[in-house]
Amino acid sequence: MNFEAVIGIEIHVEMKTKSKMFSASPNRFGALPNTLVTPLDMAFPGTMPRLNKQAVIKALRVVNALHMEIDHDLYFDRKNYFYADLPKGYQITQDKRPIGKNGYVEIETSHGVKRISIERLHMEEDTCKQLHLASYSLLDYNRAGTPLVEIVSRPEIRNGEEAMKYVAKIREIVIYSLVSDGKMEEGSLRCDVNISLRPAGSDVFGTKVEIKNLNSLSNVQKAIDFEMHRQEKLLLSGQKVEQETRRFDETKKETVLMRKKTDAVDYKYFTEPNLVPVHLSDEFINDAIASCPELADEKLARYTKMGLGKEEALQILDSYDMTMYFDKTLDKGASIKGLWNFLTGDVASYLKKNNLTIKEFNVSPDHLVSLMKIIEKGDVSYPQGRKIFEEMVKNDEDPLILQEKLGLKQNSNQDEILTLCQTAMKNNPQSIIDYKNGKDRALGFLVGQVMKASKGKANPQMVSKTIKELLDKE
Amino acid sequence: MSYLDKNIVELHNLLVEKKVTPLMLATEAIEKAKKDPNNAFETILEKEALEFAKTLVEPEKDNLFWGIPYVAKDNFSTKDILTTASSNILKDYVPVFDATVIKKLKEAKAVLIGKTTLDELAMGGTGTTGHLGTTYNPYDPEHKYMVGGSSCGSAAAVAGGIVPFALGSDTGDSIRKPASYAGLVGYKPTWGKISRYGLFPFAPSLDHVGFFTRSVLDAAYSLNLLQGKDYNDSTSSFLPNEDNTEDIDKGIEGMKIAVLKPIINSVHEKVILDAFDKTVEGLRKAGAIVDYIDFDEDLLNAIYPTYMVISCAEATSNNANLDGIKFGPRIGGENTYQEVMMKARTAGFSELIKRRFVIGSYSLFKDNQKYLFLRAQKARHMIVRKINEVFETYDAIYLPCVAKVRNPFEGGYSDKLSSTYLVAENHLAIGNFGGLPSISLPIGLDNKFPFDSNLTAKAHEDKKLLRIAYALEKITSLKDLSVEKVVK
Amino acid sequence: MQEITLELLKKCANNLMFDMKETEYETLLHEFDVLTKQMDLIGKIQGIDDEEEMTFPFPCEVTYLREDEPEEPLPREDVLRNAKDVVDGQIRLPKVVL
Repeated sequence: MNFEAVIGIEIHVEMKTKSKMFSASPNRFGALPNTLVTPLDMAFPGTMPRLNKQAVIKALRVVNALHMEIDHDLYFDRKNYFYADLPKGYQITQDKRPIGKNGYVEIETSHGVKRISIERLHMEEDTCKQLHLASYSLLDYNRAGTPLVEIVSRPEIRNGEEAMKYVAKIREIVIYSLVSDGKMEEGSLRCDVNISLRPAGSDVFGTKVEIKNLNSLSNVQKAIDFEMHRQEKLLLSGQKVEQETRRFDETKKETVLMRKKTDAVDYKYFTEPNLVPVHLSDEFINDAIASCPELADEKLARYTKMGLGKEEALQILDSYDMTMYFDKTLDKGASIKGLWNFLTGDVASYLKKNNLTIKEFNVSPDHLVSLMKIIEKGDVSYPQGRKIFEEMVKNDEDPLILQEKLGLKQNSNQDEILTLCQTAMKNNPQSIIDYKNGKDRALGFLVGQVMKASKGKANPQMVSKTIKELLDKE
Repeated sequence: MSYLDKNIVELHNLLVEKKVTPLMLATEAIEKAKKDPNNAFETILEKEALEFAKTLVEPEKDNLFWGIPYVAKDNFSTKDILTTASSNILKDYVPVFDATVIKKLKEAKAVLIGKTTLDELAMGGTGTTGHLGTTYNPYDPEHKYMVGGSSCGSAAAVAGGIVPFALGSDTGDSIRKPASYAGLVGYKPTWGKISRYGLFPFAPSLDHVGFFTRSVLDAAYSLNLLQGKDYNDSTSSFLPNEDNTEDIDKGIEGMKIAVLKPIINSVHEKVILDAFDKTVEGLRKAGAIVDYIDFDEDLLNAIYPTYMVISCAEATSNNANLDGIKFGPRIGGENTYQEVMMKARTAGFSELIKRRFVIGSYSLFKDNQKYLFLRAQKARHMIVRKINEVFETYDAIYLPCVAKVRNPFEGGYSDKLSSTYLVAENHLAIGNFGGLPSISLPIGLDNKFPFDSNLTAKAHEDKKLLRIAYALEKITSLKDLSVEKVVK
Repeated sequence: MQEITLELLKKCANNLMFDMKETEYETLLHEFDVLTKQMDLIGKIQGIDDEEEMTFPFPCEVTYLREDEPEEPLPREDVLRNAKDVVDGQIRLPKVVL
């Protein structure tokens, strides 16, 4: 029997704001435990929520990028349950009226473009962080109240690859819109997957299994592929899939049981009475959308229009920081093709060799552009340029000054080059004979002789051109 | 010489004339508080109050609250001062911040004398359920009759002549009903007019910060001080502040006042009805038009269950933060966090509170909401709509506060489904449903035991309401009551 | 609506993280009996089903939102001052089982 997987994904994204969702505590990662806390975060009696404007603006950017309908009136609800990490005993969320609903994204899979519908996007607050030690747990309230958006897909995803591409697309959107750093390993972007199998073509749903704590894109794909296979094996051998929560074990590369689902928890939702409804004017919404930086799709269109191939452009867009560097350098007047070559070539290999990220790259866009220009103009040869580059990465010195300092000046004087070439040919008559006999490498040899004679300073393109002309005249 | 049975305005004048100092007032208040026979105090702030009063030397002529001693119900967050909400689950809780109203009073240099008892977590109307036991009515030395609740300690402190002003909170009638048993002015403003930041919540959509005073003018001044937008309370109003004392003495000529017939019909005590009729006569003489109008009795019968369901539902959620982890007692629980919570909450709440939480929680379950919580919210809407229709014609609604002057601890209402109980004893919650400004003030004495009536106006018309109340106070001449005065 | 039984009420109480005395459940059962009867009566009020649910006492929509400017956080001593079991600047609980 053939099975089809029915997969829905819930993604929680921590928003990068200066203060928290409902309190003015600083919102950042990595501070000493319990040092980013104001009374509301501890649920001290009498504290009341105050909605963060930037969180709303950021949520609207994502809502817009996901082509969703926007609710112009903000209402919040309480989701009531008891848990160690939930200070108030309820979470303020948007149950009845999410800020966005009915949207979609398009993903490119190995089988072509697919549209995945998104049911809703709502704003809520994060819980406090638990540190689980051998014999006890510790609570850090710095994270309590961090602004979140939750994005809920419709169950239209069919396999691990699609799921991975979907999460990657959402991640790309929240990163490019400056809503989140999207770091899955730090928990800034967390996804829970619901997956069930049904006979292909059927429209009933099978028993759902939830997979939690997927902390990388590749784990999303691996976990789902494993889980599909596990459920298929169960069904084929006549066994039942149990309703349960599982997690992905990275070392075993399989999903393992966390807990059986007992009764569904009744969250006793009701409207948060301490937050009066907030009306968002058209102007506010338009401004929020307009404030959204250029998204990856828009950049892709721009780059291809400027002459990059799609694959080339995607290679840059794969890293947000690389894209930022790319754009800044383009702004300084670099040619797109030349810049692409340099960044994906010399810069990339330098970074890789030194285990650095583009953020740690020392060379300013200004200096990179002037280096590219002196190479393009022929003032220095490419190998000379590389020598300058090797110096530039140390202290971001001006390449023109370095060129002086290193005494690197390419000789592009036509007469001098002609003389050098003629001398080389005179000294190597055998090469002329070889060339005439069809041995092309004789040309390379002669060029090499000229370069050697000029101590590397002769313009190689000019040398090559001149030698060829002279040979053809012989 | 005793000063503290005077009202705020009188004390202010004495302070400005330097006939008395803040330290003398604070000392007298502390002495009286320490001897209080009514169990009105959770905490007496002797050291803090006297130290602060000592710093107040040069009178501030334009600041009515300068040097005035006051008390606050123990559900207002006070920085570095124990705040218990009269519940064992908070018996050692010391807040790290001041409620907005506490801050405003501090800035006005009023002197906080102590924190007063309440029904546990403000959920009750008897003054009997706080963790320190029953709070008594100063007018009843035999301790047979309630001072009412939940703001029992605040009412008892003002009636007992300890302070001229007390902060309270009102979710159903928790200021305005004890005001009747204690013969005081009890005020609850329009919802959102006074910040609730720092008030321990019972049911936020019904909760109001208010106060007890001995005169309507004092109430108007108190509202002037405490009102205003507070960005810490997202529900607080952006409407501009008014001077509530302006035109307060301009009379009520031509104003229209409604008495709801089914409510007055459910009150049977002659002394209340006689006093009420007399005031109606007085209001008419003062130029007001008083009409007795019909009102849907089914809706009046719906008030109590509607209130129960909504308030319990919100309360069960608001008090879910009391889990013994971040504050409150750690009674034990070595194995799981659930055990920690379970032990703290089982020991920390009284059985009555727990029952109310279960009622609230049950009303919110997905399968029950439609029949309980959402239905109560619909009933609330209908009641408020019909009341607001009355305000299309009338400036205020005028009613007795209580059905019985005295409410005994033992052998009270046996039939809690009778209209006397359901309607006459619970109608003040309408003011909470609609967030309406509402004031109770004394209209009579029954053998030296006071009782109030109540005026309620349209939302945001606090100023007009106070003007009508001021006229009524002139009619009754029952002002500045305290035990010493009345019993003398 | 769920049928109200003693078992259900016990479960309900335990979900709220407390236990009650046996006799209290009986009292509660009686209170529910009264309350549900009253709520049934409300259900019969004409037009009640068409009424919109009310959370806020009157229309009070705003356009204000808090600017995203962080405030000074509490000193850690204040954060933890009321907690009874503190280790390494954090609140300790028995190991939370995932």
